[in-house]
Amino acid sequence: MSPTKSKNPLVELSASLADAVETAGKSIVAIHARRRIPSSGVVWREGGGVIVSASHTVRADGDVAVTLPSGDSARATVVGRDSATDLVVLRLSGASAAVAARADADAARIGSLVLALGRPGRKVSASFGIISAIADDWRGTAGGRIDRVMRLDLSIYDGFSGGPLVDATGAVIGIDNSVLARGTPTALPAATVDRVVDELLQHGHMRRPFIGVAVQQVELNGATVARHNLSRDRGLVVVSIADGSPAESAGILIGDVLLSAGAQPLRRPTDLLDALTSAGDGASLELELLRGGGIAKSRVTPVDRGAGAVAEVASEEDDR
Amino acid sequence: MTATPAISNAATLFRAATTSLADSLTTAVVQVRNQNSGSGGAGLIWGGSELVLTNAHCVPRGAAIEVSNAGRWREARVIGYHPPHDLALLAAPAINGPMLEIRDAESLRPGELLFAHGHPLGVRDALAMGVLHDIARDRRTGQPRWIVADIRLAPGNSGGPLVDADGRLVGINSMVVNGLGVAVPAALARQFVDRVLAKRAA
Repeated sequence: MSPTKSKNPLVELSASLADAVETAGKSIVAIHARRRIPSSGVVWREGGGVIVSASHTVRADGDVAVTLPSGDSARATVVGRDSATDLVVLRLSGASAAVAARADADAARIGSLVLALGRPGRKVSASFGIISAIADDWRGTAGGRIDRVMRLDLSIYDGFSGGPLVDATGAVIGIDNSVLARGTPTALPAATVDRVVDELLQHGHMRRPFIGVAVQQVELNGATVARHNLSRDRGLVVVSIADGSPAESAGILIGDVLLSAGAQPLRRPTDLLDALTSAGDGASLELELLRGGGIAKSRVTPVDRGAGAVAEVASEEDDR
Repeated sequence: MTATPAISNAATLFRAATTSLADSLTTAVVQVRNQNSGSGGAGLIWGGSELVLTNAHCVPRGAAIEVSNAGRWREARVIGYHPPHDLALLAAPAINGPMLEIRDAESLRPGELLFAHGHPLGVRDALAMGVLHDIARDRRTGQPRWIVADIRLAPGNSGGPLVDADGRLVGINSMVVNGLGVAVPAALARQFVDRVLAKRAA
């Protein structure tokens, strides 16, 4: 039984994977913004060539050199970066390249065959494996939300961070990263990347709405819940207030128990972050709180603390 | 005979193809052992000629070498040696197997499936799967110098074949660099064998 070439599934899969690399490679650039080895970036959107990459690999701000998929050299400007998701957005100056094709949101499943691609020089190189786990929503240390980060059973080689994770057709599932999860290979889903790109293109930084309270979750006793006819038995007790903060101006006191912000019930500290993030620029938010046994309301206007934030730069050892 | 279930999906076809590939490579690959140190690696039978190709680093000069396929050890003799390409050719009487078709490195594309056959950490006839990562070229001539594969190799894979999805010889696995498998291109291996044989004939 000699396998005919057209029927051998290995030969077919092999050709598909090589096609996928070739297709996706047309949207992968090399970014020369660190010593040692260039990193990879993906042409993410139209509109002057919007490129995304991994922030820790782009160690310069302003104008950086890139190598286009065609092999031509070009310049790009750093638009902004987000330390929470380790993403950086750049815009090509007077050059363009094909925008990467996007996979359907449901293309990423545990066990899906994937390729991590990079252009750590002139040529695209490839790494192959599967998606080994998909986490629930989580939050980076700086508070940025990351939806469904993917853990990868493949190697992210030198210069691959910031490159695309693609499916077997070459459509982009996410952006590869080797430092987000303590050196294990991960990819950020395209939805997260989109949110960060929107925010950075619009504001140049990630907004970090700030009202100046530190809170802890508390359990409300049954009598309190019954007396005020509350729909929940958790709240957030204010344990400190920053000097000169919006919370101070709004008259919030240490010991107040925050129950809701706008329409958002506050069960966990992250609920407060979400409520603040969803408030528009300069808009105020009504806080419902328990004080001295009674219900009180207070309006607070978050301020943006993201503008002054300095991007964290990972250590050289993690610098893939 | 019981009825075989209908081949139902891509994974089933895939399994049939990989196991068939593993079986055919098992007939082409031997174990190579240094009698003095006990260390060794893999070797590729250079079909029909009682010759075995392996890595130079598996058969240090002066060492007593033996090879085995299917568990029977036989003495072998180094008849060609080329450390710059990490290649050695052994005369191995009574060792025979198929000659693999050679695949030129120039036609390889990143992302293509590659398979390595060998004896990693002493595990006999193990098959590993990966993809082509890159081809490292000679700076001066621009010729392919090393095949770099995203594939998991270990000591014992040395000297074994790297093949494509169709079982054609792509390279001879030589080393691991930064986690990547590095192989000598098949064309260089063939040139080496031809050179050794021409010299012996002369």
